Amino acid sequence: MERIPVEPREDWRETAEVHGFQFHTPDDELYWDESVYYRLTLEQIERDLENPTEELEQLCFQVVERALTDETVLMRLGIPEYFWDYITGSWRSQERNLYGRMDFAYSGNGPAKLLEYNADTPTALYESSIFQWVWLEQAIERDLIPRESDQFNSIHEALTQAWSSLEIKDVLHLACCKDTAEDEGTVEYMADCARQGGAETRLIYIEDIGINTKGQFTDLQDTPIETMFKLYPWEWMMSEEFSERIPGSNVRFIEPGWKAILSNKGLLPLLWEMFEGHPNLLPAYFDGDPAATALEGNYVRKPLFSREGANIEFFEGGEQTINIDGDYGAEGHIVQALNPLPHFNGNYPMIGSWLVASQPCGICIREDATLVTGDDARFVPHIILG
Amino acid sequence: MKRSKSVKLVAMGTGLLLIAACDEAKVDTALFESVDQCTGLGFSKQECTTNYKNAQQTHIVAAPKYTSRLDCEADFGAEKCEKAPQRTTSGGSVFMPLMAGYLMGNMMSGSGRGQPLYRSAGEAGTFRTADNKAVGSKIGRTQVAKSAAATPTTKTRTTSRGGFGKNARSSMRRSFGG
Repeated sequence: MERIPVEPREDWRETAEVHGFQFHTPDDELYWDESVYYRLTLEQIERDLENPTEELEQLCFQVVERALTDETVLMRLGIPEYFWDYITGSWRSQERNLYGRMDFAYSGNGPAKLLEYNADTPTALYESSIFQWVWLEQAIERDLIPRESDQFNSIHEALTQAWSSLEIKDVLHLACCKDTAEDEGTVEYMADCARQGGAETRLIYIEDIGINTKGQFTDLQDTPIETMFKLYPWEWMMSEEFSERIPGSNVRFIEPGWKAILSNKGLLPLLWEMFEGHPNLLPAYFDGDPAATALEGNYVRKPLFSREGANIEFFEGGEQTINIDGDYGAEGHIVQALNPLPHFNGNYPMIGSWLVASQPCGICIREDATLVTGDDARFVPHIILG
Repeated sequence: MKRSKSVKLVAMGTGLLLIAACDEAKVDTALFESVDQCTGLGFSKQECTTNYKNAQQTHIVAAPKYTSRLDCEADFGAEKCEKAPQRTTSGGSVFMPLMAGYLMGNMMSGSGRGQPLYRSAGEAGTFRTADNKAVGSKIGRTQVAKSAAATPTTKTRTTSRGGFGKNARSSMRRSFGG
């Protein structure tokens, strides 16, 4: 794995806008960065990322099975008791999932280590799937990178296929929050894939969802919502005014309710408890577990629910060395063995490994100038060569 | 090859990689504002009346419903709304747009299942179904997408909105994903 400087396409901003990629430079800070790319070998991709992602997904399913037969697990995950039956039902009736992103620390040598699993509302999808692909094609065409370069990225094909196999017969509603340009972009992209899969789509803001006298959720035209893709975390869905109406609403949610178990950082200690020593896992414990002394004071403390690096604390030799602000953490924490991201010329890349319908289908690399990948990280493309 | 053979988007942007969306199957039908317009175009009096009556009945259950006349007029224009026969659970009034026309039912089978049409404030030239699908702007025979010609859904009144999104309001981010 190498970090290689490269000439940016001089027209990349125009190309981005033409392709509907509007948030490439939010708040005047570069997010899409094609002045550099990472080169991985095919062996690194397949042996160290693709295969482990597939294997870890299967281990995650075993965690779900266990959580649904052992209520103490759901309790430790901080999932409200009201939803236990609902979540169990969504798994037992085999409600299908669409996508997720596992984040790894990986340097090119040794096994990739799972840092966390964004199983419910992963973002950076469009730029991974489309814009990274467009960059590769054009960079080859313009001789900026070697002709025989490839990329681990069949995300778009996998998504359109997955949407068509979800067989949505009625209208598909896609929901995200107001005033979030990036999320709107993601939802519009998803809608595009779903339409190619044959669905009829309508966008709605999470804040605009209504409830009718029959207990169905409705859109702004009062049309009952039957199937909804929601770019809004399950733990929030389960803690708001309409939460208790979810089970009776008969909405088919994408992602399904059981994803609440996997999108929780509590997944990490559960995986370690069940598969201790697995090469792609880091030792992890629920905060307060006496067994955590095994980490000898070198660990990262994370809230059960946290996004984009918020409320992350690093400890080395028992001393706090990094502490990121944020609004998360009231629901509990986990601790995970300290395994810093590798650095390349002062940059810390984190590899996101995409799953669509539980199959690995691509990666994205986000670089930060610090050890914690926050929402100011830059998206950097990759190639496979060798 | 470990990458997609092609990436196609149907609606985002307008770039090189775009392809046109496949056209949905269309059905033959006609739209009118009145029974007279209908018979004027050579349809039988009975066919026109049955379709119109059916549209009026469907109008009651399928028209979009509002608990405030102002909200309704914001969507459909000043004095373009009427009181619906329905009541809210607490006995309050319910409003719906005036029926602006009707779409004939399946012409091939000769069914009388006409459905109501509306004109929205923002785009008054266009007729829309009760499910908010545009079906055209010209009176008379036309073709509309099969899904638009389907029987509109019954609108059960929305009793409250805004029950999701509180957590998002409490933080300022450009994304709520991770």
